[in-house]
Order: sequence, then structure tokens, then C-alpha cells
Amino acid sequence: MTHTVIIAEDDPDIRGLVAIAAKKAGLSVLEVVSDGAAALSAISSHRPDLAILDISMPEMTGIEVCRAVRADSSLGDVRILLLSASVDEEAVDAGLRAGADHFMAKPFSTRDLVDWLAVGKEDKP
Amino acid sequence: MTALKRLRSWFADAFDRPSPSVKQSASTGGMIGALVILYFVPGIEVTDAALTWVSVVLIGAATALAIILTKFRQLDRIVMIVPVIDIVAFGCFRGGTGGASSVFVSLLILPVIWLASGSGRRHILYATVLTAFALFLPFLIGVTEPSTITDAVRGLFTPLVFAAASGIINELARQGRAQLESIRSLADDKERMLQRTVEFAAQLQESEQKYRAADRLFRGVWAAVTEQSVVGTDVTGLIDAWNPGATKILGPSAKDAQDKMNIFDFHLPEELLDRARELNYPPGETVLNPGFSALVESARLGTSETREWTYVRTDGSHVPVQLSVTKRVDDQGETVGYLFVASDVTQAREVARLKDEFVGLISHELRTPLSSILGYLELLRDDEDAPLSTEQLQYLGIAERNAHRLLRLVGDLLFTAQVESGNFPLDSREIELESIITASLDTARPAAAAAGIEVTNEIPDEAVIVHGDPTRLGQAIDNLMSNAIKFTPRGGTVTIGLTMSDTSAVVTVRDTGMGIPEAEMDKLFSRFFRATTATRNAVPGVGLGLTITKAIVTAHRGEMGVASEEGVGTQFSVTLPRVRVTASV
Repeated sequence: MTHTVIIAEDDPDIRGLVAIAAKKAGLSVLEVVSDGAAALSAISSHRPDLAILDISMPEMTGIEVCRAVRADSSLGDVRILLLSASVDEEAVDAGLRAGADHFMAKPFSTRDLVDWLAVGKEDKP
Repeated sequence: MTALKRLRSWFADAFDRPSPSVKQSASTGGMIGALVILYFVPGIEVTDAALTWVSVVLIGAATALAIILTKFRQLDRIVMIVPVIDIVAFGCFRGGTGGASSVFVSLLILPVIWLASGSGRRHILYATVLTAFALFLPFLIGVTEPSTITDAVRGLFTPLVFAAASGIINELARQGRAQLESIRSLADDKERMLQRTVEFAAQLQESEQKYRAADRLFRGVWAAVTEQSVVGTDVTGLIDAWNPGATKILGPSAKDAQDKMNIFDFHLPEELLDRARELNYPPGETVLNPGFSALVESARLGTSETREWTYVRTDGSHVPVQLSVTKRVDDQGETVGYLFVASDVTQAREVARLKDEFVGLISHELRTPLSSILGYLELLRDDEDAPLSTEQLQYLGIAERNAHRLLRLVGDLLFTAQVESGNFPLDSREIELESIITASLDTARPAAAAAGIEVTNEIPDEAVIVHGDPTRLGQAIDNLMSNAIKFTPRGGTVTIGLTMSDTSAVVTVRDTGMGIPEAEMDKLFSRFFRATTATRNAVPGVGLGLTITKAIVTAHRGEMGVASEEGVGTQFSVTLPRVRVTASV
């Protein structure tokens, strides 16, 4: 069965890059959104296996979306990957504390992203 | 005017301190008068021409001598010869004009007065003996015989009278001299006192001028300081000085603050209490006010202290300030109060915050497009459907390398900004320096090989442990290695070494490169500084590497050192405090 993914990223080029990586990893991209609020509603309605969220997005930050998803027990099994251009360690900590499964700093290697997605999609608790 | 002055001065000289000529003028005048009488008055006649002539010659000689002695005052001590000659002369004159019956015996009194007025009682004796000698002269030289007892008595009695007169004159002269002396010394004293008074008045005037100038300067400065608040208090904190800057920053006028308000009224009470707790409630003059004691603790102990505090204005709003507290002392060195000089740092803080925000934003905004560039380049490289030619792969490599270079620069800029605002995080733990050095060597080898430089290492077998952030320390050593390779010409050597003492570990990076001009050594660690040897040899870089390296080392409580000789090479050293590991079995 093909695993599903929602991608939320405000920069269109990065969004495209992540979508390509997801496809390369054999994932089915359900929806690609450009802000946090849209990401949360997409996750709620599609209930994907994976969500790839940028941290700094309009409306809601990736961390806020992550926290909201984790607060909703019906969405508990969504794997979350956070992306950020910030190297601030506090942001990384905050992301992981909010319940994200993994964090990748921009610029990331598409190869690494594909590798993680290929493993991460299977690695359900 | 000058003529009158000269006359007065001559007059004063003649009578206050008469010269031998002036004194002699009496005898000379007497003699001339006597000669006139002798010539014109019938009945008064010369009885012995020889003696009379002798007397005239003697008076002439005495007068001449007196004139000479007037000219040569250094011969003063023989001046009494003049009246002695006069007395002998008048003795002769008496003998030549009738002896005992001469009318001119009284002339003797003139030189006798002079002689008797000499300093010392012996002059009385001289005068008496000489008078007697003069009176008996005619008998002694045999001109006449003492005819009657009357003559003999006269010869004895007259000298006795003269002796008495001499005594009186001598005493009067002595008293006169003594009086003159005391008057003179009094006058001298007066003169000296006057002189001193004048000097003192001049000094007083000078110091008053100085005081006025200092006072003007102080008032000027006090009024001119409008951007800093300067507040003076007594030892309990009661305000007694308040400058215009204090009014500007805190609100109240000097009139409202002085002697009415306390300095601690303008502080956040919590902040004062926290500081008091931190200092373990220092004992101050004001035990009842631990906050104030904490505020002035350093100053009280003699060190001026500068730290950040929050002032509270009378309207309740807060002002962050940089405050220096200093002790005020009196002439005896006793503490009489404190001075509080504060600058408003609201703006400085805002600027720092904006700068941090700006740098953060810029670095985020630069990273996002770089992420796209690098990501898509990688897709291109990894595209299995359309593999690239060797040439295309080479071009791609150049594009990737430069994108990475840009990325590093952004990271360095962000890091430099963090260092400046003093908040870059260190993820410290106990680490082995060898592993960091080995990693740096591995990173450096490809670049060194490409540049034709040999990389060697001198690392001991013993494990050297320090407390630090491995990523940051790695970055520091990478920077030094990359610099060494950049600045060393083809065929050179870069050596990384590790030495240690009981308390510290030293990592050295030595090259055989172009070196750093001595004049530029002290600017080496400044931001964006590039040595002339670097620019001349077109070595790429922006001048952030060493700034960052030094900041990392300093954050690890370490020290950086450098030694260099132009054209020979450079050695950088990083000294870090060593963690002592107890020998594990």
C-alpha cells in the first residue's frame, strides 16, 4: 500500500523540491499547501501517514501545527518531519518537544530527505 | 623733583649718618673763625707764631684726612685719628695764642665731642687724656713754664670737666645709636611684614582666581551633562545633588528631588532586593535598607561599579540604565555619600534587538534560496534518467561549491552577530581533542592535496580531555587549518600539533606560508580585517574566520596566540583549560 503525505511549505521552489523527493521515496502526495492553517485542515481531512512541515510559515508555524496535531488524539499516528532554515537550537528543541518525529535543517540534501522518507514512512510505532 | 629728592637725600646722609668731613667741618670752621677773630679783633694776638702755624697746618691735615676718609669708607676704623689731630692742633693753637690766657680753649670741645661720641667707653678716656695733653702741651714742649698753681689746676680741672662732658656725650651717643638700631630693626621688621602681606594677598588672589575658574568649569560641566543623570546622595541615600540629565531621565526637578527624595525611590524594589540577596545582604550604613546597601556595596568598599539597573520614573515608567556608583569622601577620606551616574540604554538595547532580528531575518532569507539552489542541483546530479556528461558534472560541481561557500558565509555572519550580542549557544561536554583534530585533518586533506601542500601532525598518544562544544571547537580548528592552507604556497607544509601541561592543552597550527606583517598583528582578530599579504596574493576570504575562531576559543575560556614572520610562516595556538581525569583502572 502506498503511503500518503501532506507537504506544507511557504516557498514554492522548496515545496516543489520536497514534493519531488517524496515522489522519489515512493510516497503519494495528497496535498501541497503554503501555510500552517491550510496544513492543519489538510491533515485533519486527509489523515495522511506523513506530514512534512516548514517551521516558519504564515498563519501557523510548523511547530504550532505539530502541537495541534498531537493534541488531537484521532491524528496521533501521523509521522511529522519539520524543516527549518533556522539553525537556532531552541527552535529544534521546541519542534521535537511539540511532538515532531524528525527535524531537518535547510539546506538539506534531497538524497538524505528521500532516504529518511523511504524509511520513515514504514517506521510506524 | 629729582633735584629736590637728591637734596633731601644728601641732607639725610649728612645729618643722619654724618661723614668724617661733616664732623670735621665743625673743627675746621672753628679754626677759621678763630683766625678771623685773631686777625681783626685788637687785643687778641698771637704769642707764639710757630705753635700757631703748627696748629693751622694740623687742622688742615686733619681736614684733608677727613675728606680722604669720606671717600674711602672702608678705612672707617682709623677715622678717630682726625679728632685726635684736632685736639693736638687746638692744644697748639691755645699755646700759640696766649696759653692759659688764650680765649680759644673752648675750641677743644669740638673734637672732644666727636671723639667722645665714639662707640665704647674707652673714648671717654681718650678724650680726657688728650685734652689734658693738649692743655699741658705748651709746658711739655717748653714754650712756657707753668707759672702759677692756677695754671696747673686749670690744666687738670678743664680735662676733668671735659671728661664729664665726654661721659655724657658718649652715653648720649650710645643711647642714640641703640635707638637708631632698634628703629632700624623695627623698620626692617615692618618692611618684611609688609612684604609678606603683599605676597600673601597675591597668593590669595591667585588661588581665588583658580577657585573661580574651577567653579565655573564645574558649573558648566554640571549643566552640560543632559544625557546622563548624575545624582549625589549622603550615606543613607538622601539626594543632595541632581543634574539636568537626572531631570530629563527621571522627571523631578532638582528642587523637588534634593533633600526630599532618596535614590532608591527611583529603583525597582525587586531588583534591589534580588541584588541584596545575591550579595548576601551586605552590611551598609543603612541596615534597614538592604537594597540601598547592595546598590552601593562595591562603591563602599572602594571600587567604582558599573552595571545595568532599571530606574523607575515618577510617572511609574521604567528606564533601563547603565549605572556607575562611586564613593564621595571628605578631606579626611571618610565616606560622606555616593555619586550615581547613569546613561539611558533604552535606545542601545533597541538597536541591539533590531540588529539581532535583522541578522536572523537576513540569514533565513538567504538560506531559503540557497536551499533551493543546492536541492535542485542535487536533483540534476542524481537524475538517473538523464545522466550528465563529465563536463556537465564538473560545471555542476563548481556551482555547488560556490553555493556552499555562500552558505558558509551566511553562517559566519550570523555567528559573528551572535557573538557580538554575546549569545551564541555552546553545547559543551567532555571531549577528546584528538578526535577533533583528526576530523579537521580529514576535512583539510582534499584542499591541501589540491593546493600541493603537505599536511602533517604531531599528536601525542595520551588522551587530552577538555570541556567544550565539539562542533564549535571543530569549526575553530577547521578555520585555522583552512587559513594555513590558503596562505601557504604550493610545496609548503602545514603542521597541526597538540601539547599539554597539567592544566591546559595547546593546539598549534603551523604553516610555511607568507606570514603576517608585524604592524598588522594587533588587528588580526578584528572583523573583516584582511592582512596585506592576503590581499596582495589574492587569497580569497572576507576576514571573519579568525574573529569567529577567537570568539569560540574565548567562550571556552581559552586563549589564542599567534607568532609570525613574513615570508617564513605563521603559527596559531589555541590554549584550552584541560579537564583532569582521575586515572581509571
